[in-house]
Amino acid sequence: MKQFDRRDFLKASAAAALAGTGTVGALGRALAADPIQFFAWSAGVDQVKSHVSAFEAKTGLKVVYGNAPWAQYRDTLVTKFVGKAPLDVLWVSDSWLPEWAEAGWLAPIDGYPQLLKYNADVDDFSTKSMMWKGKQYGLTYYTDYMAFFYDEEMLKKAGFSAPPNTWDEVVQQSLKIKQAKLSEYPLMLSMARETWLIEFLSAIVFSHGGRFVDDAGVAVMQDKKKGAYESLTWIVNAVNKHKIVSPACVEIGELNGLKAFTSGQHAFAMLGRYRVRTLNDPKQSSIAGRVKQAMMPAGPNGKHATVGWNRFYGLTTTAARDKQKAADAVQFIEWFGGKADGKYAFQKLMFMDVGAGFAVKPLFQDPDIIKTYAQYSDIKMYEKQQALAQKKDVISPWFGEWDEVNGTAWQSAVVGKSSIDDALKRSADTWNKLRKQA
Amino acid sequence: MSARAGALRGVFGAPVSRYDQASALWLLAPMLAVLLVVAVFPVLYSFWISLFDLKLTRPHRVPFVWFENYAAIFQDELFWSSVWRTASFTVMSVAAIMAIALAMALLLNEEFRGRRFLSAMLLVPWAIPYVANGLMWKWIYDSGYGALNGILFQLDFIDKYMVWLGDSRKTLVLIANAFVWKEVPLATILLLVGLKSIPADLYSAARVDGANTWRRFVHITLPALRPSFMLVLIYETMMAIRHFDLFFILTEGGPAEASHVLAWHVYVETFRKLSFGTGSALAYIMALVTFLLAFWLIRTLGRKL
Amino acid sequence: MSRRPGLGRRIFLFAASAVFLAYVLAPVAWLVSSSLQRDAEITSRPPHWIPHQPTLENFAAIFEARDKKVTYETRREGDPATGGYIPSTARNLLPSMWNSLVVALSVVALNLLVAVPAAYAMAKIRFIGRSTSIYFMLTTRVIPDIALVVPFFLVIRTFGLLDHLGSLVITYLAITVPFSVFILVSYFESLPDELDKAARVDGCSRLQTMLRVYVPLALPALVAVVLFTFLSSWNEFLLALMFTQTPKSQTMPIVVASFASDFTISFAFINAAGVLAVIPPVVMAIAFERYIVSGLTAGAVKG
Repeated sequence: MKQFDRRDFLKASAAAALAGTGTVGALGRALAADPIQFFAWSAGVDQVKSHVSAFEAKTGLKVVYGNAPWAQYRDTLVTKFVGKAPLDVLWVSDSWLPEWAEAGWLAPIDGYPQLLKYNADVDDFSTKSMMWKGKQYGLTYYTDYMAFFYDEEMLKKAGFSAPPNTWDEVVQQSLKIKQAKLSEYPLMLSMARETWLIEFLSAIVFSHGGRFVDDAGVAVMQDKKKGAYESLTWIVNAVNKHKIVSPACVEIGELNGLKAFTSGQHAFAMLGRYRVRTLNDPKQSSIAGRVKQAMMPAGPNGKHATVGWNRFYGLTTTAARDKQKAADAVQFIEWFGGKADGKYAFQKLMFMDVGAGFAVKPLFQDPDIIKTYAQYSDIKMYEKQQALAQKKDVISPWFGEWDEVNGTAWQSAVVGKSSIDDALKRSADTWNKLRKQA
Repeated sequence: MSARAGALRGVFGAPVSRYDQASALWLLAPMLAVLLVVAVFPVLYSFWISLFDLKLTRPHRVPFVWFENYAAIFQDELFWSSVWRTASFTVMSVAAIMAIALAMALLLNEEFRGRRFLSAMLLVPWAIPYVANGLMWKWIYDSGYGALNGILFQLDFIDKYMVWLGDSRKTLVLIANAFVWKEVPLATILLLVGLKSIPADLYSAARVDGANTWRRFVHITLPALRPSFMLVLIYETMMAIRHFDLFFILTEGGPAEASHVLAWHVYVETFRKLSFGTGSALAYIMALVTFLLAFWLIRTLGRKL
Repeated sequence: MSRRPGLGRRIFLFAASAVFLAYVLAPVAWLVSSSLQRDAEITSRPPHWIPHQPTLENFAAIFEARDKKVTYETRREGDPATGGYIPSTARNLLPSMWNSLVVALSVVALNLLVAVPAAYAMAKIRFIGRSTSIYFMLTTRVIPDIALVVPFFLVIRTFGLLDHLGSLVITYLAITVPFSVFILVSYFESLPDELDKAARVDGCSRLQTMLRVYVPLALPALVAVVLFTFLSSWNEFLLALMFTQTPKSQTMPIVVASFASDFTISFAFINAAGVLAVIPPVVMAIAFERYIVSGLTAGAVKG
């Protein structure tokens, strides 16, 4: 056996050490850094993947992209946060921001001017939706609002050349359509318990000129003038008195509602604006080509306001604590939520491919976008209604809990289990109680 | 536990043989290892959490509150109505499962052509993934396009499409139907296994003695089926009490709380309100009730343990 | 003896079979039928029980999908306006079914290894702590799964098994073992003790007695355990959702669920996915059903 003496050993170690540093040096920053952990819900998966590939090619950073179905997204994230799974950037819905910020899971991006500069191009309600207690927590992924759609042909057949301007007119037109036997329940309204319910309700409340809570955060929903009383009364009457909305509305969710409208059963529908693409696609809709967007009908004291929502890129506190991770994550957020190579590439990609709304105003002037949108809807209407969108006023750390009670209360009123006053009072009391406890 | 070897009986009533601690422990070791490592920690951890007022949106203040969470739960009206709903759901489902499964098992126990085809098809409801099952039933019950409405309408039982899941009087029954449909295959198989353990000559002897089908059924089949029956009863009761998936997919506890059962209540507390303390406490209450129920069933239907 | 009882019996059995077949298959038949339709046709009133324009495009989308690096050029514009509203996660369905299969088979094998000895011991051996063991097993299953999600998650994370199929195997094992043991104990107890004594008189150890005498006799119960553990693992959704992050480890229920809540939705496609997901378990069930239905009965015991 050959003697392995000290000189050989030293030579071998030195060689190994040199080789080691050489290797690390050669491969550079990319391999030395951890990959960016990005989690989202399963929308536009291919679009995200393609944009991620471009990011990796440009920066040399690696990204691990995971996703979960939207219906289970929140629960998955809660488990991940509580279980401290590795996570750097994620999609967040505006409804959850206060909860997750208070729980210490999301970090503000106020310290990154390279991100904040994009606010100048974004609609106000959208930026406000990402703020909590004066701090901003991300850049917009997509933003959209609740729109009012109608079937032009069905209206023509009933003798109407223009869509309804107020909620009263909605009733009148619906009754006539019902009489003409063109539709049994002319207005499609989703009242099922799901994440979308608060958006449907807010649209009706805002367009009636009401609010759930005032600017100070005190509940006003039970107020007959400033609150949701008019709105809930309208809905209850629509279902039970005029019978222009199906009693099955409490089981119809947003997706089922979409399918129902596409089958030509209704004259009017309240749906997310981005749905217009599906509504006018002949492969998916029997009424393709006939669907138009109208301004949200106004209540007697209201204007054509609607509710807007925002989903954004959030930064986790674990990422924010580590300088390198934070820098990488911020770069990622800019590539997706801001400009990539000088253009709002991802936002445009999502719009062209999937029809997702964007928050960045310059894109309204983009010729490709104008041309594409003209194929199925009116871009002027898009802009006009978006200007009147308000952010949800019930966003708070206790939103999850209050939403449960409120949703049930409105449903009880609709099915006749409770009076309108009682339902709203219950909702308001819960809000005030939770607010005090916080 | 009685020391008389002759009187010693197992869980399911049959006698067991001699005393042999060492072998038993060796044979049990793998199972104990698996359960101790994976299952025990979660069980204990949940209990530990239930003693704190843990709200995730208030992470800096997590006081130890002994059993206050439990007390708060018992004072919650929604808890008691959930208990009632869970109880009705469980009783309805288990009764239906036992009846249908027994009928199917008896049928499959007979010799006839096509029996093998029938038994293979029996497994299909069981094989469908929960998500697909939930969506399928949601589609069937749909008030706009559902197959249920479609077929009743075509057979002239109804003159226009009805609201099904959205009608709070019908919600629980419909969910129970979907649940039963999926559980029947397993129950049938287990009862069939029990039927197969009955020696055939018992029947022939009885027939020679002049007993007709009904008497053979009552005096031979039912008693011999008792252990399997108990097995299925306990399992299905446990499954019904804790069932969550269909409630999540079909109605999310609605409409207006018509399908708000205990399992859903735990989910809302834990994941919607982010109140882990009360959520865990609620889960423990459910666990205790389930355990007591199972214990009671074993004691009354099995012999002494 | 007159012929009439025979005929009456046959008619009764036939009628009963027809009823049960309808009960079991009717919803599934609708599932299959709708998977062969386009979305526009699915929403017809009344429904088209037999598709008027049958199409295989839903299934085709699943089989054509292939995983590759996605760039701007190669991205699938899986969306409404381009006509291809099949979800882009379709390509994950077949790999996820493979994952599900691997997990399910592992759980079955491990279950048998762990549960059979335990059940034999509990049924045939007298020892201190026998009733305690049984109640202990039950106790691990009385807590609703929702409450166990976070603690389970912590355990898996501690073992470093996040996003790994092993996490599912371990967890499913813990979940299915108690009931497997329960099924086997029930069956073992119904088998006579004389066999045990006879074997031991012949010089067999406990293990050999168990393997040579009782296991062969318990075939119907073993098959029930195999089916139970396979299907429980195959169908499990909640824990798989929490423990898996990327398609590398996702199982079939997760992928099917993702079809339902993607930005766009196709009910026909989901039904097609549902139909496909049913096939492996049904194949397995058909392979095994003879052991349950025919089964070894008193003949062996008497001898």
